[in-house]
Amino acid sequence: MLYRWLRDLHLYFGLFISPFILLFAASVFYLNHGKLSPGGERPADTYRDLTIPDGFDRVKGREAVDRAEAILPQVDVAGGRGFLRYVPEYHHLIFPVSRAGSEATVDVDLDARTATVKRRSMNLWESLSYLHKIPGPHNVAIRGNWIGTQAWRVLADATIYLALFVSLSGIYLWWAIKAERWTGLTLLAAGATTLFGLIFAILHGN
Amino acid sequence: MGTKALEVWNRKLHYYLGLYFLFFLWLFSLTGLMLNHQQWFRDLYERRQTSYDTPIEGPAGDTQISRTRDAMRQLNLQGEIDWPAAQPVGHIDFNVSRPNGSAQVRVDVNAKKAYVREFENGHLHAFQIFHTFSGSRFNQPASQRDWVMTSIWVFAMDALAAGLIVMVLGSYYMWWRLKKGKALGVLILSAGIAGCAVFLVGIL
Repeated sequence: MLYRWLRDLHLYFGLFISPFILLFAASVFYLNHGKLSPGGERPADTYRDLTIPDGFDRVKGREAVDRAEAILPQVDVAGGRGFLRYVPEYHHLIFPVSRAGSEATVDVDLDARTATVKRRSMNLWESLSYLHKIPGPHNVAIRGNWIGTQAWRVLADATIYLALFVSLSGIYLWWAIKAERWTGLTLLAAGATTLFGLIFAILHGN
Repeated sequence: MGTKALEVWNRKLHYYLGLYFLFFLWLFSLTGLMLNHQQWFRDLYERRQTSYDTPIEGPAGDTQISRTRDAMRQLNLQGEIDWPAAQPVGHIDFNVSRPNGSAQVRVDVNAKKAYVREFENGHLHAFQIFHTFSGSRFNQPASQRDWVMTSIWVFAMDALAAGLIVMVLGSYYMWWRLKKGKALGVLILSAGIAGCAVFLVGIL
């Protein structure tokens, strides 16, 4: 009974996460070996008569990032804000906005109520790598400020938890095949030796 | 090879690869969780710092990399090298890092002196760094690997990625050969594909 349940869950959870596993695995090659080629930038667009929330000279962090959200639909941009920089000398607000496929830098002149937006397209490999890396470890206080990033975080976490379940259930299913136990144990030991040997060499080797 | 033999070997390959890469998968899964949930960890980035200066022979070599390596040899440092954008005249400045720590080195060639700041990372931080330890950044064209251990680690990461792709494709074949569960499998796989696609095509 347990075997059948685990076999079915192994199969169906595995099928669900398989596109995500392919995405994370394929993007590894670009992250490890790819180089960003110049291009993809489009001419800057200028937007006028913007309705701009006040208080950017006072608020910081998440509160400032949340206020900047009101500007995005007015400049035809959607995505997660990476950081927010207020330049007090010129009363400018500068922030990058990104999502898979495109990124933009929005430069708002708070006094003139205008914004200049520079956009750049990502190719497929960049988009895969972008999804691989978000939400990521940086700017903890402000990340997840877009529904797309929040949704992806849930899916990325689910992929990890389900991958852990699939790997543990896979061990159970393998162990049930008595004829494969020794070969499997040998491979398990070989994998562990490779991994921990590498870690030791990187940490302590000369 | 007949269909039956292909099925048997595909199934064996699936769990052989899975067993060999099991601990690699757990490492990248757990460090992936860490990277996405920094709020779970307090003091993760605290590190111990030591500073010293020491005499050094003018690093030998014709190129920046060979002079840097000679300086590292004299200072008994190992790791991935990273140079600042600009080098002061008469200096060889570089950073060298590996998961458990890093060093900022400023070599004054004329004074024959090296000023070193070494940082030792905590265990959890070192563990997390293995997830991203590739020595190369795709958005920094000048960055490249220059330590053999980094290249070997990157090879291991590539092998895991290739192994996972083979396992996934093999699992599609195994599932498709099953007599039962196709409709539910198609539904679940479609949900997974749709979940990826809405992000990839920029809907979200």
